[in-house]
Amino acid sequence: MDQFLQLLIAGIATGAIYALAAIGFTLVWQTSQTINFAQGEFVMLPAILALAARDLLGLPFWAALILATAAFLLLFGLGFKRFLVDPMLKHGVLPLAIATMALSILMKEGAKDGYSAQAAQFPSLVPEGMVTILGATVSSRDIAVFVVAIAAIVALQFFVTRTRLGRTMQATAQNPTVARILGVRVERMILLTFLINAGLAALASYLISPIYLAKFSNGEFIGLAAFIAAIVGGFNQVRGALAGGFIVGLVDNLAAAYVSSAYRTAVPLALLVVFILFKPEGLLGRREERTV
Amino acid sequence: MTRVLEVKGMKKYFGGIRAVDGVDFHVNQGEILGIIGPNGCGKSTLFNCILGQLTPTDGEVLLDGRPVTGLYPSQLNRLGVSRTFQLLQVFPTLSVRENLILAGQEHEGTKLSRLFGASDAGLTAEANRMIAFFKLEHLADQKAGGLSYGQQKLLDAAMAFMAGPKLVLLDEPAGGVNLTMLANLKDRLEAINREQGATFVVIEHNMDFVMSLCSRVVVMAEGKVLAEGTPAEVRADPAVVEAYLGH
Repeated sequence: MDQFLQLLIAGIATGAIYALAAIGFTLVWQTSQTINFAQGEFVMLPAILALAARDLLGLPFWAALILATAAFLLLFGLGFKRFLVDPMLKHGVLPLAIATMALSILMKEGAKDGYSAQAAQFPSLVPEGMVTILGATVSSRDIAVFVVAIAAIVALQFFVTRTRLGRTMQATAQNPTVARILGVRVERMILLTFLINAGLAALASYLISPIYLAKFSNGEFIGLAAFIAAIVGGFNQVRGALAGGFIVGLVDNLAAAYVSSAYRTAVPLALLVVFILFKPEGLLGRREERTV
Repeated sequence: MTRVLEVKGMKKYFGGIRAVDGVDFHVNQGEILGIIGPNGCGKSTLFNCILGQLTPTDGEVLLDGRPVTGLYPSQLNRLGVSRTFQLLQVFPTLSVRENLILAGQEHEGTKLSRLFGASDAGLTAEANRMIAFFKLEHLADQKAGGLSYGQQKLLDAAMAFMAGPKLVLLDEPAGGVNLTMLANLKDRLEAINREQGATFVVIEHNMDFVMSLCSRVVVMAEGKVLAEGTPAEVRADPAVVEAYLGH
C-alpha cells in the first residue's frame, strides 16, 4: 500500500509535467494545425540551455535560467513560428509535420554536440526531501512539481476563459476567418499561442530535468508521452490534454513497478493503440469538424 | 434622404464568367433593403465585393459618400459595416454573452486597454441589452455551440448589431430556420429597425420573408439588376415573374 501510494504520487507528478507539454501541443494544433513532433525536444532543450549558459558563460544559475528561458522563447516561440511553421504551412500539414521531425533531430544533435552527450545534474528548483502522507513516505519534490504544474495550468485556464485576450485566442482557434473580420489580429493571437507553448515547455523542462537528469535524448520519451497524452485526452481540448497527461504519468509509473521496467514505455504505447482503435477523438475531445 | 451605402457600376468577372455585371444600387438611412434573385444570379458575389472579401473587377462602393472600395473586411467592420454569414459563424465554446462582447470589442479602446483593460471591454451592458432585445436571456451564459440552429441564427444577428453599426448586411438570415423562429427573427429585425433606426440589407431566397420585411427590393438576374421598387411593384413586374417562373 505504501509503495502504491508513492507510485501514485510520483505518477501524478510526472503526469502533470506531461500535461504541460501536451497542453502546449494541443494549443499550437488548435490555432495553426501544427503537429509539433519536436515537442519532446522543446522540453529537453531549455534545461540544457540553462546548464550551457551556467557552464560556458559562467553565469550564476538563476541568471542562466532567465537567459535560457528568454532565448528559448525567442528561438522556439517566435522563431519556430516565423521561420518554420509560416513557410511550411503553405505547403500543407504533412510537410510541416515532417519539418518539425527534422527540427527535433537538429535540436537533439545540437544539444549533444553543443553541450554534452552525457546526462547532467540539473539543480532542483523545489525543495528536496521526504514527507509522510497517510503513512506513506513520499518525495516532497514530487508534491512541489505537482503543485507548480497545476498552478501553471490553472493560470492558463483562467487566462483563456476569463480574459479578453484569452477569449480572442479561443475565437481565433475556432474560426480565424470570422475573428479576422471582427477585427481580431489573428496572426498576433497565433504567435501568442506559440509563445505560451514555449513557456509551458520551458517550465516542464525545469521541473522534469532534476528528476530524470538533463540529457540530449530526453525528448524522445517526453515527446512520446505528451503525444500519447494529447491523443488519449482529446486533441482539441486543454482539459483533455490535462487528463491525458495524468493517465500517461500514472500508467507509466505503475507499469514500471508492477509490469516490468523494461516494458515501461510499451504500456503507454499500448494505451495509444487502444484509443486510436476504439476512441479516436479521445476521452474529452470533440470529433473534428472542419469546414473546407 | 441620406444614402448610407452606394454601389456604382459594380463588376466582378471570373475569367469569362460575368458573375456581377454592372450593378448600381443604394441604401437609404433607416431602411431595410432586400436583394433577391434566383440561384447563381450573383447576389453573394456582389455581397463579397462590397464587403472586401473579393476584389471587384470594376466599380465603386461609397459609405456615407466616402469611397471604401477594396478595404479589408476588418477595416469596414471598424467603419461600422457588419455582417452575418450564410453558414453560421458563432464561436461554439464561448457563451452567448461572450460571443456578443467579442463581436464588439475590437471597435473600442487602445492597444494598452486590449492588454490591461477590463475583460469585458466595458461591453457587458451593451451585450445584455442585445440579449434582452433578441430574447435570449435564458441562454445568456450557455455555450453558443449548444444552442439550436435557430437560436444560433438569432445570436448571429444580435452579434451583427453589437456596437451600433451604421449598416448591417444579412446573408440569408432565413435559411434553414423553422417557421416559429423565422417569425421571431422577423419580428426582432423589424423592431430593431423601427426602434433604433438600424439600416440593413438582406440577401434572401425566401420571397415571403423579404417581401414582408423589406421596404424596398432589388431583384437581380444574371449579374444585373432586373427590377427595383417596393415589394408590390417588383411582384407585379413581368420581367421578375419571368426570371422566377421561367418562360
